Amino acid sequence: MNELLKGNFQTKNQVTDSPAKEETLEDRFEREAKKRLGGSIAYVSKKKVMWDLKNEKK
Amino acid sequence: MAKVLFINPTVREEDVPRHVPYGIALLAAIAMKRGHLVQVYDENAWRRGEETIRAVLAADEWDTVALGGITTAYVSIRQIVRIAREVCPNATIMLGGGVLTSLPREMMTWLPEVDVGVIGEAFGTFPEILDRLDQGDRTWSTVNGTISRGPDGKLAMSPPRGLLHDLDNLPYPAWELFPLEEVYFPNSQVLFSEEGMLATRRLDINASYGCSLICRFCYHLGIAGDMRYVEDDKGEANVEFDRPGAYTRTIRYHSPEYVVKLARYAYDRFKVNFIGFLDENLMTMDQYSDRTWMRDICRLWKENGLAPSYLAQGGERGESWTGIHWSGTSHATLCTPEILKEMRSAGCSHLVYGYESFSPQVLKRLGKGSTPKTNIRSFFWTLEAGIRPIPNQMIGFPSEDFDSIRDSMAAWDKLGIVVKPFFSTPYPGSEWFTVNREWIERQYDGDLEKFVLDLGDATKITGVISQNFNAVELLGLREMMLMKDLKRIGEYEEIWRANHKIPPGQPSTLYTESEPPMLAVVNR
Ligand code: B12
Ligand code: SF4
Repeated sequence: MNELLKGNFQTKNQVTDSPAKEETLEDRFEREAKKRLGGSIAYVSKKKVMWDLKNEKK
Repeated sequence: MAKVLFINPTVREEDVPRHVPYGIALLAAIAMKRGHLVQVYDENAWRRGEETIRAVLAADEWDTVALGGITTAYVSIRQIVRIAREVCPNATIMLGGGVLTSLPREMMTWLPEVDVGVIGEAFGTFPEILDRLDQGDRTWSTVNGTISRGPDGKLAMSPPRGLLHDLDNLPYPAWELFPLEEVYFPNSQVLFSEEGMLATRRLDINASYGCSLICRFCYHLGIAGDMRYVEDDKGEANVEFDRPGAYTRTIRYHSPEYVVKLARYAYDRFKVNFIGFLDENLMTMDQYSDRTWMRDICRLWKENGLAPSYLAQGGERGESWTGIHWSGTSHATLCTPEILKEMRSAGCSHLVYGYESFSPQVLKRLGKGSTPKTNIRSFFWTLEAGIRPIPNQMIGFPSEDFDSIRDSMAAWDKLGIVVKPFFSTPYPGSEWFTVNREWIERQYDGDLEKFVLDLGDATKITGVISQNFNAVELLGLREMMLMKDLKRIGEYEEIWRANHKIPPGQPSTLYTESEPPMLAVVNR
């Protein structure tokens, strides 16, 4: 476990580390793709897309 | 004794954390030496976010929560002080560093959660604030070097704090309070030289304060004698930095003995194999000391067994070494071939040169005291000494024009420089900011805070101060420079001349020194 607070005395409450969220495969893919953006590399950032097909005429 | 929580805010989020905040590490050491109870939470290193910040703030009853950093840490500071006020309603929230110093009144207005701001150097002000907290006294207006709120809510600036002259009395930075093994050592690598690339345990040292030059884009954090207190038209005190015709500096440096003992301490205790000197300009100090300072540091580095062994014994560089390689910032006109060779023999691997441009007219107006000739000369001297020069470049100077762009491109070609120039950025505290403030505010709907929030690396465009080119043009021109596309730059010059109705035979520029930069373009 990481010691997040470092100092010269013991604090009243301990601070436990909540490790940075595990990166999802989706995040990893988007991060890697962003680095190589250009040419034939283009990708859809899923977080920014509004999945709204209701108003579309079928 | 006062209970102090330091929080180091996030900076340069797009990169991994690479630098222990030296100022905070020194202040923590000063506080501990005086017997105060100190904890550090380094959010820039851990980057755990709001939940952890809340837990840290709730870990004890803090007398003060202290934050500071450079201007671009503002986004993170704003978030942290809001949480701090909520979780610790009784703690004194203190803000210091370059972010507060360049705009003290604005910062205190934008951040109502902050109780006291420390303007400029904190070596004297900070312990005095802790002593007051100990005595239960929270009248900050009688502590020199602060800005605080009076009972009527009005901001009050106390008289300025003098700079510390006996720097060697400072304790060593409290590096042990930062996550070295967990975060900083794994991020030791600096891709500026082979040795920097191979560094596995790096720490930084700041051996001096100040720079004798007056580059218009530079800000010295109010700790280099660059800050003056002035009264505005309403009779209110405020700070002032470099402006045309008014430049002040105080040059200070640690003794070579202190510097090398500190490096030896880092070597023995933390097993470092690389040190990055944070000094604004090592060569100012060398010149100021009559060429003794750097030479003595190099000599003592060797005498104390810190020069990498293969350099001392004449062997080959391997993937690792005993001793310490190091880097720093040099200056085109102030360096000499002799000192560069000395520096290499003591383990210097790379030196950052703010060459900025290779255009004579741009350099002449910049205040750097360099010319294309001294740029090129120092470049070769440094390579000859066996040190890699890092040739920083910029685009978008107030007087940037097509010719200055071509001058820089020609030099890159000749010297084999591969570089993506920074955009000229008027950071608060710089002369460019002071001179162009009104124009910058207009680019951000009259809201200066929006500009400060937008600031980051100068690799992106923020406030434009070029009289000839707008943001779109600068972005395009930078791309063309990278592609070495002189043809398209020339074609665009024709379009640009037609757009600006420049008659044949006249130079391709709108630059004028008689009007305030940029407003000139607006008025046209
Ligand atoms: C290390 C460093 C960085 C580190 C970050 C350091 C950090 N964790 O804060 C990194 C590499 C990220 C960095 C980046 C940049 N930097 Co920088 N950086 C420095 C450097 C080399 C050393 C800073 C330092 O430790 N100084 C020594 C210590 C003792 O000073 P200090 O930290 O300011 O601390 C003193 C006071 O300010 C105050 N203080 C500081 N913190 C606190 C906290 C509290 C609670 C209190 C009370 C007081 C206080 O007390 C201390 C003692 O007096 C300085 C140059 C220099 N030599 O200062 C430039 C400098 C700070 N950087 C500068 C610039 C321009 C940049 C960049 C914008 C460069 C660029 N073109 O991209 C980027 C920004 C990137 C981004 N996206 O944010 C400028 C000024 C920036 C500004 N306006 O604030 C400086 C001054 C260099 C220069 N002369 O131009 N930088
Ligand atoms: S030489 Fe470097 S530190 Fe000195 S004023 Fe110019 S940019 Fe700033």
